[in-house]
Amino acid sequence: MSDFDALRERLKKQCDEIIAQYEQPRSALLPLVHLFQQHEGYASSEALHAVAEMLGLSQAVVESTVSFYTLFYRKPVGKYMLQVCRGLACTLNGAEDIMAYFRERLGISHLQTTADGLFSYEEVECLAACDRATCMQVNLNFVYDLTPQMIDDMLAAMRTRTYAVPPLAQTRAPDRSWSERQDFEVSMGGKSAGAQDQPEPNNPGGLDRDGIIMLDRILSDEARFKGRTNERLANVEPALAQVIEE
Amino acid sequence: MPVVKVLTEGIGEADLRDIKVYRERGGYKQLARAFKEMKPADVQALSDKSGLRGRGGAGFPTGKKWSFLPADVRPRYLVCNCDEAEPGTFKDRMLLEETPHLVLEGILLGAYAIESHHAFIYIRGEFQRGYEIFMEALAQARKAGFVGKNLFGSGFDLDVTVHRGAGAYICGEETALLNSLEGKRGEPRLKPPFPAVQGLYSKPTVVNNVETLAYLVPILERGPEWFAAAGTERSKGYKVVSISGHVQKPGNYEVPLGTPVRELIEIAGGLRPGRKLMAVQPGGGSSACIFEEQLDLPYDYESLQKAGTMLGSGAIVVMDDTTDFVRAAFNLVRFFAHESCGQCTPCREGGYWLERVLHRFLENRGLKSDIEMLARVSHEITGINLCPLGDSIEPFLASVLKRFPEQFEARVARETVRA
Repeated sequence: MSDFDALRERLKKQCDEIIAQYEQPRSALLPLVHLFQQHEGYASSEALHAVAEMLGLSQAVVESTVSFYTLFYRKPVGKYMLQVCRGLACTLNGAEDIMAYFRERLGISHLQTTADGLFSYEEVECLAACDRATCMQVNLNFVYDLTPQMIDDMLAAMRTRTYAVPPLAQTRAPDRSWSERQDFEVSMGGKSAGAQDQPEPNNPGGLDRDGIIMLDRILSDEARFKGRTNERLANVEPALAQVIEE
Repeated sequence: MPVVKVLTEGIGEADLRDIKVYRERGGYKQLARAFKEMKPADVQALSDKSGLRGRGGAGFPTGKKWSFLPADVRPRYLVCNCDEAEPGTFKDRMLLEETPHLVLEGILLGAYAIESHHAFIYIRGEFQRGYEIFMEALAQARKAGFVGKNLFGSGFDLDVTVHRGAGAYICGEETALLNSLEGKRGEPRLKPPFPAVQGLYSKPTVVNNVETLAYLVPILERGPEWFAAAGTERSKGYKVVSISGHVQKPGNYEVPLGTPVRELIEIAGGLRPGRKLMAVQPGGGSSACIFEEQLDLPYDYESLQKAGTMLGSGAIVVMDDTTDFVRAAFNLVRFFAHESCGQCTPCREGGYWLERVLHRFLENRGLKSDIEMLARVSHEITGINLCPLGDSIEPFLASVLKRFPEQFEARVARETVRA
């Protein structure tokens, strides 16, 4: 029995209870994915497959739904998910300096994870704590009135595992980024080779890059869809590999 | 100072999360009274009479919303919208975390009023602490017999399910919320049919904001006349206003509707010493700015609408003379571009490109012709989308473009692309 099968067995009762709360089983989709993510640290393909089975849905439907929500991570993330508010009220109160400080201290940027797998960093939309700007969440726990000193103390405590908020589960080592989402700031550097000298707004580079990253993810996902889709992907893989290389 | 304590009563003084404390202060008495002495229609009539309007953003009269439910279709559902994510708004989170039993009592009263036997509360995914607090409150209330079967011996069964979102501003739009609650992508539905006719599981459904439902409790307790006596002719009662930005004491303040905006800013401690007020966003990220000469506007639905903006969710963001309005515009446009669900082309593509053009201004690479183009595009994508998100891009951007054109012109590098 794999680790995941054991987890699924262990959570079976809880899953059944969640499903029973609703008149229609599909309503349990978000809560079930939340539950598996809580235990695995991210919404794994096995978890989505299990949720699809439990709710009588296709895995594509589950995948599509999950991809809509930014709090579901389809790839492993760091043990501390640092989500700093970039909303207007925080920005008026110095959030850009705070974010720059975070990026410098962590050596990573928006939507990235540190190489040691400890920290993931994201700049998020208004967190509804504007009276305590600038604010952030650590693994969804609020931290208010941020200062550089607080950031230093926080990161130090996390490194020594003495921080008040417990780390997230981490069942697999994270990659550099968990998100296919390419925010503007990130995609700016990603123009394709032929577009390097092109001025905006003709910036096909950004779009190309989004597409390539999506393909890259499909190919590198070790637990991707089984059956014919998989075979088809394997057949076209050489061609895709060439595109990505270029 | 017109600050009142109705919903905010006891917050910061007592641990209202404890059902014992809440009950000692009169909690759940109105619920008991409603179930024992009143018919659902009586509760509806009270809310109607109070003039209560939706506190989530649209300001739609609550009693009227309920009256759209078809009489003969069952089951009906009540859904409490706690997906608070409008930039600048933080009142629902406070109510959820600080006084969860009041929120629950409001939900139970609302469900009883519309004869719903299954109510839901949709809590924003980021509000993990609020979710945990509410779950605990619900467990306490269930144990005390306020949720479940045959409440107060009335024969009326009522269950409450707590549903967590997972990071999507658009799920605050009621039909997107219902899709999300059905386990789907949070994409708004085409209306009509409205949720009152076909909502959750295609059954008649009412979606009410947290604050709206919470006000049912004091309205029952003190009478609709008391509530209607506060506020203005058409904007009756009280409102929790979230004030933030460049003020000295940002926070949630509960006031009668109609309080002048100037007074609200003073309540929040006023500006920092030596600073000059430049703009106020009076109703969340989706609203147009008002300026210094408009500060005496009464803070109510009609006055703000007449001034070309809106009260929205009741979030006031104050901006002083240190504000970079190009950056502020970029910030809000990026927000809407990021949160667009992508169904409607004007919203999806419009937001995407406006963000990019504004970014060019941020880097001092703006084109003179873009200033006019920003205004035109943001206007043209308005009013042709399934939901109001795409329409929310224009108000702030247009108002600051008009008021502070020099800030945009200062970042122009060239006349046009070809020049």
